[in-house]
Amino acid sequence: MMIEVEGLVKHYGDVNAVDDVSFGVEEGEIFGLLGPNGAGKTTLMEILCGLRRLDSGKVSVNGVDLARDSRKVRSMIGFCPQETLLYDLLNVRENLAFSASLYSLSSKKFRERLEFSAKVLGVGEFLNRRVQQLSGGMKRRANLAASLIHDPPVVILDEPTVGFDPTIKREFWDLIRGVKGYGKTVLLSTHDMYEADEICDRVAIMDRGKTAALDQPHVLKETIGGEPSIHVRVKEQQVNKALAVLKEYKGRLADGEIKISSSNPWQTMSEVSNKLVSSGILTDKIEIVEPTLEDVFIELCGRRLSEDS
Amino acid sequence: MNSIIGIAVKDIKTFFRERGTVFWTIAFPILILLLFTAIFGREFPFNANIGMVDYEKDSMGITAGVVSGLNSTGVFTIITFNETTEALEELNATTVRGVITIPQGFAQDFLAGNASVSLVVDGTSPDVHRLITDATRNFFTEYYKQYYRQTHGVDYIAPVTVNEEVAVVGQTVGYKENIVPGMLTYPLLFSSMVVSTGAIVFEREKGTLKKIRAAPIPAINTLMGKTLAALFQTAISIFLMAALAYFLLGPKLNWNLSLLIPIFFLGSMNGIALGLIISCIGRAPQEASNAATTIAIVLQFFVGMYFPIDYLPVFMQQIGRFIPMTYAAQALRDIMIRNATFSDLFLPMATLTLSAFVLYAVGVLMYRRWVER
Repeated sequence: MMIEVEGLVKHYGDVNAVDDVSFGVEEGEIFGLLGPNGAGKTTLMEILCGLRRLDSGKVSVNGVDLARDSRKVRSMIGFCPQETLLYDLLNVRENLAFSASLYSLSSKKFRERLEFSAKVLGVGEFLNRRVQQLSGGMKRRANLAASLIHDPPVVILDEPTVGFDPTIKREFWDLIRGVKGYGKTVLLSTHDMYEADEICDRVAIMDRGKTAALDQPHVLKETIGGEPSIHVRVKEQQVNKALAVLKEYKGRLADGEIKISSSNPWQTMSEVSNKLVSSGILTDKIEIVEPTLEDVFIELCGRRLSEDS
Repeated sequence: MNSIIGIAVKDIKTFFRERGTVFWTIAFPILILLLFTAIFGREFPFNANIGMVDYEKDSMGITAGVVSGLNSTGVFTIITFNETTEALEELNATTVRGVITIPQGFAQDFLAGNASVSLVVDGTSPDVHRLITDATRNFFTEYYKQYYRQTHGVDYIAPVTVNEEVAVVGQTVGYKENIVPGMLTYPLLFSSMVVSTGAIVFEREKGTLKKIRAAPIPAINTLMGKTLAALFQTAISIFLMAALAYFLLGPKLNWNLSLLIPIFFLGSMNGIALGLIISCIGRAPQEASNAATTIAIVLQFFVGMYFPIDYLPVFMQQIGRFIPMTYAAQALRDIMIRNATFSDLFLPMATLTLSAFVLYAVGVLMYRRWVER
């Protein structure tokens, strides 16, 4: 295991920010912490980076105990927090040089890492531009480059794509996959279920400081997310008639659509479609929807991911 | 690159690119210097308009001599009036700060050695009141002496003569010589303290302190890097102040750099350490910044920067003795005015070294406690 967390506890007064959390992250894995704001993800990550003290439990990175040798652990981690931690008045090269100095990199090693940053993270085109002149996406790339400048085996990304538009988000996901391609172990936090589903090899669902479930996204969806459902949209004036026609399928109306759960969605969709046509009801849309991590979260925690913890 | 140097280089680069900060760092000493040059850079530090009403106007020219004599002192600019009431109206309007009335029969009484004049002075300013009263009295005494010497051929013998003996190691100094060492204390107190507070507060506010703390470097490296940068910025302030003082005021002072530099260094270290402590006290970054500025403003009155510490009430003097910067201000005066040698500076240097060490240690402990909570 590259990262091992055992029975981690952190209190802020009466609040249990992290409550007996345990998990392990394999080398070269992208591991996600999925949960709403206030779930304890950031606190957990800051403890791993040595920014906060844990109350009890054990954390080790690459076999090194955080409590015994925090400095060694910190040297193995590249931390990229939610905010862009770059100096606006310095250019990207100077920011990277500053980060390199914090890890006592030699000039030769720094040049090598600069080449890596240019090649893999694409910062070469704006190395000599001041941070204040960069776009949001460029800043995030430079921020990631600064976190990786010392070539750490572990990369911790706290909400790496929050506030991004979908295009830049996808670009950033590719960067993270690229980082994984270089053998790095990635631990990231997110409250975006699509992000967790898209790039994480395994996901721990966190709520109110606890891990509610932990597994590969598809396993979580299959085992906890429930059956696939058929979503049917009909003309507004025919909704009641359609519900009556589909009574035997226990359809429920939600968000203007009739939703029917089924363990055999293709067959059910065919039957539903035939029944509606024979009853003279025209459908605007009929589709099979697989369960998502949002469904998993709702199932486990009884509310939506977007609601604060 | 070493992390200490890396942090210092980053802070210095950021400082030079923050145009507003650079401007104020340079502008502030210049403004202070210009202000002090305007106040103390002249031969005579005081000049006032004085109303003069001459009811005598004698044919021997005695009262005319009074008017021209008062004008030539450089202390007074004489404005003549026909009536006392007219002059007093101008006094109320603060056009003049005092009114001298020469009564009829003044010349006769003057010749007899028992003349008197009336003086009405603006009492709203104690200093102005004292200066005008003293200068007027001194003038008439000297005027009578001159007249006596001319008419009798011998000097007027004053009843008692006080012989002043100057027992200063260096030379007798003027206002500007006295004020320049005090002004050079300014960067030690303000620049070093405010810069070091700002260096930590800025990182807290921006969140970049997280990045530094997540790196595998001890807290002391962070503080040493910031200290180096703050020392550099304080040195710029001191250099600007000293250069401007040298060229604008031209004071006759001893610029013994081998003694001045250690005092500047120790004084700056005290200011930086104090700034460090303040930066860890405030919960909010802005709170720490405001605290640093307020404390610096208050402390300047205790340390004898602009006036001797003896001017202060006793309790303030006692407080001042516990403030390291008081010893820096005194040491600078001792070096620059009294030509003090290294052995003369043992006490202030030892005090500054000890206090810098203690304050810095407290700062480091507080910083470590603050980042670990």
